[in-house]
Amino acid sequence: MAGYTENELAQDLENQEYKFGFVTDIESDTVPIGLNEDIIRLISEKKEEPEWLLEYRLKAFAIWKEMTEPEWAHVHYTKPDFQAIAYYSAPKQTKKYESWDDVDPEMKETMKKLGISMEEQQRLTGVAVDFVMDSVSVATSFKEKLGELGVIFCSFSDAVQNHPDLVKKYMGSVVPMTDNFYAALNAAVFTDGSFCYIPKGVRCPMELSTYFRINAGGTGQFERTLVVADEGSYVSYLEGCTAPQRDENQLHAAVVELIAMDHAEIKYSTVQNWYPGDKEGKGGVFNFVTKRGMCNAHAKISWTQVETGSAVTWKYPSCILKGDYAIGEFYSVAVTNNYQQADTGTKMIHLGKNTKSTIISKGISAGKSQNSYRGLVQINKSAQNARNFSQCDSLLMTDECGAHTFPYIECKNPTAKIEHEATTSKIGEDQLFYCMQRGISEEKAISLIVNGYCKEVLNQLPMEFAVEAQKLLAISLEGSVG
Amino acid sequence: MENSNKLNQFTSRFATTEIDALLPMADMARTFLAENDFPTTRVERFKYTRLTKLANAQFDTNNALAVADFRKHQICSDAIAIYIVNGIVHLPESTLPAGLTIDMLSSANSLPTSSIKDVFAGMNVLYAQSGVCVHVAKNTVLDSVIEIVHVCTGAYAGFTRHHVSVGEHAQAKVVLTYASDATNDCFSHVHTSIEVGKQAHVNVEKVQLESSEMFSFTDEEIWQDADSVFQINTLTLNGSLVRNDLHIQVQGEHAETHLNGMYMLNGQQHVANYSTVDHQVANCESHELYKGIMDDKSTSVFNGKVFVRKDAQKTNAYQSNANVLISEDSSVNSKPELEIYADDVKCSHGSTTGQLDDDAIFYLRARGLSEKSAKQLMLTAFMSDVLDKITIPEVKAKVFKTINKRFNWELEL
Repeated sequence: MAGYTENELAQDLENQEYKFGFVTDIESDTVPIGLNEDIIRLISEKKEEPEWLLEYRLKAFAIWKEMTEPEWAHVHYTKPDFQAIAYYSAPKQTKKYESWDDVDPEMKETMKKLGISMEEQQRLTGVAVDFVMDSVSVATSFKEKLGELGVIFCSFSDAVQNHPDLVKKYMGSVVPMTDNFYAALNAAVFTDGSFCYIPKGVRCPMELSTYFRINAGGTGQFERTLVVADEGSYVSYLEGCTAPQRDENQLHAAVVELIAMDHAEIKYSTVQNWYPGDKEGKGGVFNFVTKRGMCNAHAKISWTQVETGSAVTWKYPSCILKGDYAIGEFYSVAVTNNYQQADTGTKMIHLGKNTKSTIISKGISAGKSQNSYRGLVQINKSAQNARNFSQCDSLLMTDECGAHTFPYIECKNPTAKIEHEATTSKIGEDQLFYCMQRGISEEKAISLIVNGYCKEVLNQLPMEFAVEAQKLLAISLEGSVG
Repeated sequence: MENSNKLNQFTSRFATTEIDALLPMADMARTFLAENDFPTTRVERFKYTRLTKLANAQFDTNNALAVADFRKHQICSDAIAIYIVNGIVHLPESTLPAGLTIDMLSSANSLPTSSIKDVFAGMNVLYAQSGVCVHVAKNTVLDSVIEIVHVCTGAYAGFTRHHVSVGEHAQAKVVLTYASDATNDCFSHVHTSIEVGKQAHVNVEKVQLESSEMFSFTDEEIWQDADSVFQINTLTLNGSLVRNDLHIQVQGEHAETHLNGMYMLNGQQHVANYSTVDHQVANCESHELYKGIMDDKSTSVFNGKVFVRKDAQKTNAYQSNANVLISEDSSVNSKPELEIYADDVKCSHGSTTGQLDDDAIFYLRARGLSEKSAKQLMLTAFMSDVLDKITIPEVKAKVFKTINKRFNWELEL
């Protein structure tokens, strides 16, 4: 958000248009549209992949063909035509840059508009950014510093080339290709993504960050992220997204797999702000993501997400608490406006003894949007003394939107303690009155109350993300007072 | 098509209904059955309920056993009692108080159209054998309790259907007793529709004490008019597989709805409590409280849904489900749902699952209570807020007596 002034904010609000809606004019290398075995072979060939990965893709494709699209979510949309999507799009110049200066100036401009000027980020925050433009990593910074500690942080394709053993061992171990329709599709056609490995006992000194960005018209983005934290290590991983404005619906079906070995900790934060469609609900990104983490003994995985974008969101970052004393956390703010639809939540699968999970979900619906929390807390027979606390609050801003809660609580062990609580209400008139009486405008008062309402979640975000998230909340809810 | 055969196999033993008032709904039910199979756990509504045993059970639908002492199952001694024994209706012999009429369902001219949510509701429309129509005229305040006693024996399987209408400003208390003498597998599905008129007060106590061989399905559909108060207490004390489906449509402003439930299970019993409160108009409130104690290998399901429509502003809806597991192998599935389309509402739900607090038990034992008494005391305290909602003393006494007998306790009222 560097250089983003109040005036600009005011202008954005005035325009009510999608803030990051622009298309970068870079020549893309796109494969023909459609999906068949030849396309998969072509993607694999273009990426110079080893034979085993091609086989993996083809197997996934065979499985996907047998599957049907899930319909249980509380969302309505026109199903994407999977034969009308180009499954691979990479910026033409695929050579790797030695230094920041070599990077295409136009791409630099894009990053600037995104508010992640690399120089600034490197200097001010010490964040290493693995910038993904469409499907190929363009620049990776701080690689050397991370290299000294043995931390591997690179694009998924690089990992396939340079660390095939690690990739082969862990890919699909948390989200198997048979998991669901979109996970299978991703396994068949994924183009790139990020790979991260933290060796034993290493505390990653900086927050690892990847900005994904959908570019080039008509391409879906099929990211794959794999984060492996070896015994006793720690990593904080940031993921943020924006996408250019476009009329046709774009499909995003990513897979994120986290593996936390014994005593390891992974903190995974997401700010998602893809194009939500215009005021009439036309266009917008379909965000069908499978995110799951495996927690071994004494390990901890913490998901934090701020979801403000996408026309349709279908996303359940989950934790499998496999080892004893494992901890899973889920903090979420989901904002929907206009005709957006979100069906999001988490799954906490307790398998180990003394496992603990916390779920804090804050939904805000405005305009004519529908916002649902859907979650599962499953205490299995082996999970002695498991503990869960869930809180799901919904805030309704207008009388035309909807807020829904669908929690599934399954308990098979008598020593477990499970608490679930949910509330739905609107912003209190007395709260608004109190603020306005003290000279705060209605708009600002709402923003203040909403920020307070989301505070528990925003507090979990790394500093610079929290600032961005607050701005996003303000922009997303602008003019939505009912 | 294996499943569909299963459904045909299941329905083939039932004779088509001879109740004329059900005919307008028959097409809808037939279409539903044609489009749906016998439910498996892949069907959302039956996700936690395994019906394999029911599908494979042997029933004898022609069995018209003479039951000599069915009257022993009546709970309220002074009640106006209706008996449904293996689907055969025994109307009350005494004269009814003014303002109350009770007739056979077959004499009804029309019935409200009910929604068909699963195949069993559909089957009830097509195969309902008998039932009663109860009408409480407007401004009538009934002193006596109306008790409908359902008794199953032998290897009975069948569908029963009742309709209760309570007129404007009237007040009525209804006890729905479900009992059985069966030692064989038995299946019964009872659909009860209740129309609650303007400013009417209706209180329903539903007591389920069937044998451990009983597949008991009950389905209540309620329409509430303005300023009315409706309360139902679902008390599940025994049965092999019990499914309760409550559907309440709040159609008049300033109506109040109370749903309470308690379930105490042991052995391999399974109870599923499904409820929907559909708030269609503004300024209403609903309170839902379900509590359960699970022993042995029992399983329970709670699925409560609060549905607030766009026009139902100023709705206050609360929902709570609490469970205590007192054995290693028992399990609980809870799904409290909120589906809200209006903004000026206050809705909340909570769900907890846990066990008895060791510290509290220690406290009681340190004061000289045996472990058993300490646990009983704690469990009674846990249940007390639901038990307190029971308005008819005889029902409360029966509940305590049953619990004491089954769990070998010595609870006192």
